[in-house]
Amino acid sequence: MTGRTRRVLGALALASVVPIAGCARGCTSSRPPIHLNPSMDNQPKVLSQTSSDFFYDGASMRPPVPGTIAIGGLKEDTAFFTGKGADGQFVAASPVTVDEALRERGRQRYTIYCQPCHDARGDGKGILFQRGNVPTATFHQDKILKYTDGQIFDVITNGVGLMAGYRWPIPPADRWAIVAYVRELQRRRPAAAAGAQASTR
Amino acid sequence: VSRTYWRSLAQIEDRPEYRDALEREFTEGASELPAGVTRREMMMLLGASLSLAGLAGCRRPVEEIVPFVTAPEEVVPGIPRAYATTMPFRRSAYGLVVESHEGRPTKIEGNPSHPSTLGASSTLVQASVLGLYDPDRSQSVTERGTRKSWADFVAAWEKLSAAHAADGGAGLAVISESFSSPTLARLAAELRARYPKVQWATYDAVSDESRLAGLRSATGRDLDLMLRFDRAAVILTLDADPLLTDPEMIRHARGFAGRRRAAASGEPAMNRLYAVEGVYSLTGAMADHRLRLESRQIAAFVAALAGRLGAPGAASQAGDALPGVDPRWIDALAKDLLAHRGSGLVVAGERQPAAVHAAVCALNAHLGNTGRTVSYFETRDAALPSVGSLASVVSAMNAGAIQTLVVLGGNPVFDAPADLDFASAMAKVPHSIALGHSVDETSAKAEWHIPRAHYLESWGDARAVGGPLSVVQPLILPLFGGRSPVEVLGLMVGGKDRPGYHLVRETWKPIVGEEDFDRGWNRVLHDGLLAGSELPEVAPEVRGDAFADLGKSGAAAAGSPGGLEVVFLPSPSLHDGRFANDGWLQELPDPLTKITWDNPALVSPKTAETLGVASEEVVRLEYGGRSLELPVWILPGMADGVVAVTLGYGRLNAGRIGTGVGFNAYTIRTSQAPGFGSGASLARAGRTHALSATQNHGSMEGRPIVRETTLAELESDQAARSAPAGGEHAEDAPQSREGGGTPGPLGVFPEDPHHFSLWKEHAYDQGHQWGMTIDLNACIGCNACMTACQSENNVPVVGKAQVAKGREMHWIRVDRYFSGDPGENPEMVFQPVPCMHCEDAPCEQVCPVAATVHDGQGLNVMVYNRCIGTRYCSNNCPYKVRRFNFFNFTKDTPAILKLAMNPDVTVRARGVMEKCTYCTQRINRARIDAKVAGRELRDGDVRTACQQACPASAIEFGNLRDQSSRVVKAKADPRNYALLAELNTKPRTTYLAKVRNPNPELEGVA
Repeated sequence: MTGRTRRVLGALALASVVPIAGCARGCTSSRPPIHLNPSMDNQPKVLSQTSSDFFYDGASMRPPVPGTIAIGGLKEDTAFFTGKGADGQFVAASPVTVDEALRERGRQRYTIYCQPCHDARGDGKGILFQRGNVPTATFHQDKILKYTDGQIFDVITNGVGLMAGYRWPIPPADRWAIVAYVRELQRRRPAAAAGAQASTR
Repeated sequence: VSRTYWRSLAQIEDRPEYRDALEREFTEGASELPAGVTRREMMMLLGASLSLAGLAGCRRPVEEIVPFVTAPEEVVPGIPRAYATTMPFRRSAYGLVVESHEGRPTKIEGNPSHPSTLGASSTLVQASVLGLYDPDRSQSVTERGTRKSWADFVAAWEKLSAAHAADGGAGLAVISESFSSPTLARLAAELRARYPKVQWATYDAVSDESRLAGLRSATGRDLDLMLRFDRAAVILTLDADPLLTDPEMIRHARGFAGRRRAAASGEPAMNRLYAVEGVYSLTGAMADHRLRLESRQIAAFVAALAGRLGAPGAASQAGDALPGVDPRWIDALAKDLLAHRGSGLVVAGERQPAAVHAAVCALNAHLGNTGRTVSYFETRDAALPSVGSLASVVSAMNAGAIQTLVVLGGNPVFDAPADLDFASAMAKVPHSIALGHSVDETSAKAEWHIPRAHYLESWGDARAVGGPLSVVQPLILPLFGGRSPVEVLGLMVGGKDRPGYHLVRETWKPIVGEEDFDRGWNRVLHDGLLAGSELPEVAPEVRGDAFADLGKSGAAAAGSPGGLEVVFLPSPSLHDGRFANDGWLQELPDPLTKITWDNPALVSPKTAETLGVASEEVVRLEYGGRSLELPVWILPGMADGVVAVTLGYGRLNAGRIGTGVGFNAYTIRTSQAPGFGSGASLARAGRTHALSATQNHGSMEGRPIVRETTLAELESDQAARSAPAGGEHAEDAPQSREGGGTPGPLGVFPEDPHHFSLWKEHAYDQGHQWGMTIDLNACIGCNACMTACQSENNVPVVGKAQVAKGREMHWIRVDRYFSGDPGENPEMVFQPVPCMHCEDAPCEQVCPVAATVHDGQGLNVMVYNRCIGTRYCSNNCPYKVRRFNFFNFTKDTPAILKLAMNPDVTVRARGVMEKCTYCTQRINRARIDAKVAGRELRDGDVRTACQQACPASAIEFGNLRDQSSRVVKAKADPRNYALLAELNTKPRTTYLAKVRNPNPELEGVA
């Protein structure tokens, strides 16, 4: 077999592959890639956060039926879950025991969820304020210093003003931990401020 | 004990088809190329289809992420949540815990705190989730077949109701299923107040009407009965099947198995079960002594027994010897019952006439069982079934007195007694309204059809036997805008459309208390029942002459005396036909016959011989001037001269699964004899109808598969073991235990041989090592595990033709063995067989692509993506537990059925082998949960689907390295044995031998 024949055969082999594989490289296409062996990559079952042809809104996830209670979803302790007492008023003090472990947990959660806007000291000078000049409340203003624990919990839960509610990402126990940490920040503030003044002097 | 076990008549006669089934893995043609196609042609065909598929769009499907628009606070995507709810079934209520994946119910379990389920479930409960996702459910209100809206119906009803309000509802009739529900009962009472002349009929095709009537005649009151098997030491069942077709079977099975197990633990004495029946029932299969007696002879038997027991007023009724019954049998039974006053239990079957139930009530009172093993409760909030009420409505319909008929539930066109001819009566009613899950036989003939909401999508309430109240809580909004009976009745009563939520809450305000109602209501929703709502037991006065009617009813079995006796059985799968469109249930083998997708007439071998018919032969059954053609199946152990037909099959409008499957036995069933009747005859129709039975599939011929012993032998063996060590036996014993590391087998069983392995064995001494035991003594063979596994593990339905080829896909099967003379009264043993998870698994050694391998937890895992479908593993599996996807059974899954799949389990494609995984997804979930909680896995954290569903608690599962786990304790039981241990596969699943408790006085008495 001459080299020429070999080259022709090679070209033929290549040509036979191309129509099957489509234009694998170097072409742009808006269609999804070719996938020859499906091998159960896509199964007739419904995973979370997927679409569904069945429901009118195209979503496979359904909200719970209003009025139903899941196991473990009984919220009899209204103070713990809403920050409000039986009388509908905000509770003055946190319904959970505040200790060092809770504050530490609160610090962690605060760092994750709150610090980007409110900054590490609660001054409201977080990255959002620095880059976007978005007005963010400081915890050290008189209005917020006068908030009850229940009221702070309610703000975390439902949001206020520009701030969104965090009821979904932060479970209630962690919200109370954050409340404890915010209180700690407020307590430390006068000393920290005094220290800051001392250093600039 | 040396017994010969057999699975079918073909086996015991060693027919060629059985040899063939045994030597092949699948039936002929199931695994070969189609005839006329050579291997080369086949490859060409395959190549062609492959290249076609390659060109025609094998593009990766576009996946979209669709989050919640408004995320609910509680839902974390990917983490299932559980809701307590209730499944109403006839007048029972099953307390359930339903798993919800992002708002889609996928798996049902029993609610451990609800007394009717105690955490277990049944096949019907397990399969009910598929009813929610039935693609054939009706999707809109229709008026004479045209799509309408619910608002259209409300407007139409307003016109109708105005007309009826004028004459007090004289032309209005309502047909309902029986129920036990405070809200429905309240609304029904309000309906009667609004329309005083309304005609109300409560009809169930399979009902406890005769028991209610019997108790009424014995005590003068409407009473509910609760059987407490957990307190019973000696049980007599009379043509009854409390362990299978009774709505309270979960509670019964739990109590019965609890006392059955007692033998090993040495707690209260093991119970003894006597069964007297004509049709082999599951209860009869569990019996220590079983007497074959036609249903029509039961009354005479009760009279004879009552005479022996010295019941007042019974002596005059006790006839002389019963034909075919050894008097020693009754004597021994009577003696046993008298010796266990207060801990005996006599049960009569639902199909027996009222007189038998009255007599049984009196017998239980006479034996001091009332209040101990038998409890009576007032029927409250209930509509009691009554064929008479249906008959009077039908005669009013025929007389033209009914203008509007509302069918609130049920399917009377299909299942009403044949003599009432409901369909033609309904045609005479100008306005008919039918509520139905699908456009069934009744809805198809009705003017208005309203889609009925499934219990998992509607609000309601129910009162279980014994009183506990619970709420039916929806898991999802109605998929097709269906309405519940509560809502339809609410519209009829109030004249305006009101949501079920408000109607139910209104009922519950006085129950829970107006003050702080929401708190109490939420607690009921959360817990699944109202604490403290049990009713007090009633101690009824039993009429002195309760036995007086026995003679009459015995003689007055409907139809002409003599001839064959025809018995109507509720289907263990379809019940009265309402579950006909449920593929899981249709494909579930009948526990006794192992037949799928059909309902043949059952006869004993001797009767078949007399009539000259064989299995699968079609016969014409003539009875009471009506006839039905259906195939015959020979079931050993049936009483001679009895033909049993199963109800619920032969649906005309069930849907794509159930339409036309089986034969409609309602066409010969009359209102006079809903249970059984005499004077039937059989004639051969001259053709055959192939039946798909799984009884010979996966046979393990001749080897000691099932082991059983008697209580007496077990006790003597235990005594020998606990005797001080010494002599030759003490030296022998350790040697025999060396190989397996498990305790040596029981003396009454053959010793396992000493094993050695050809290759280096794994130590399996790290982490969790999972294992399972199945207690054959507790297992009642009800198939709940099979349906639970199917629901949990996305096991496909394959259809009748595929089952016939041995291609059913159930990961756990329940084998049934007979032992004894097939012509007489053979005994039955059930054995559930899942994957054994062998430590030295034969399947793994032959897989060329390492698709089945062992993991560190001792699980024999399948890697589906690696599997190329050689099926060597299945060939090499001595237990025949591997299942192969011969076709892409799930390819055309409708969008609605995708919702029913467990998202945690792979849906397998064609060409892939699959088998039991020990519910590996549950193991992983439990491990993650434990890790998040920062603790070690505890015993009981992982429960397999079969274990959780088992009403008899026959299955234990856990970590073999945890010496305190229940599974380790079970394996230490002397009854523990491994299946085919001589192969040295070291199965992780082992069995506990069955123990029978025969009465020594009945030795040698047939």
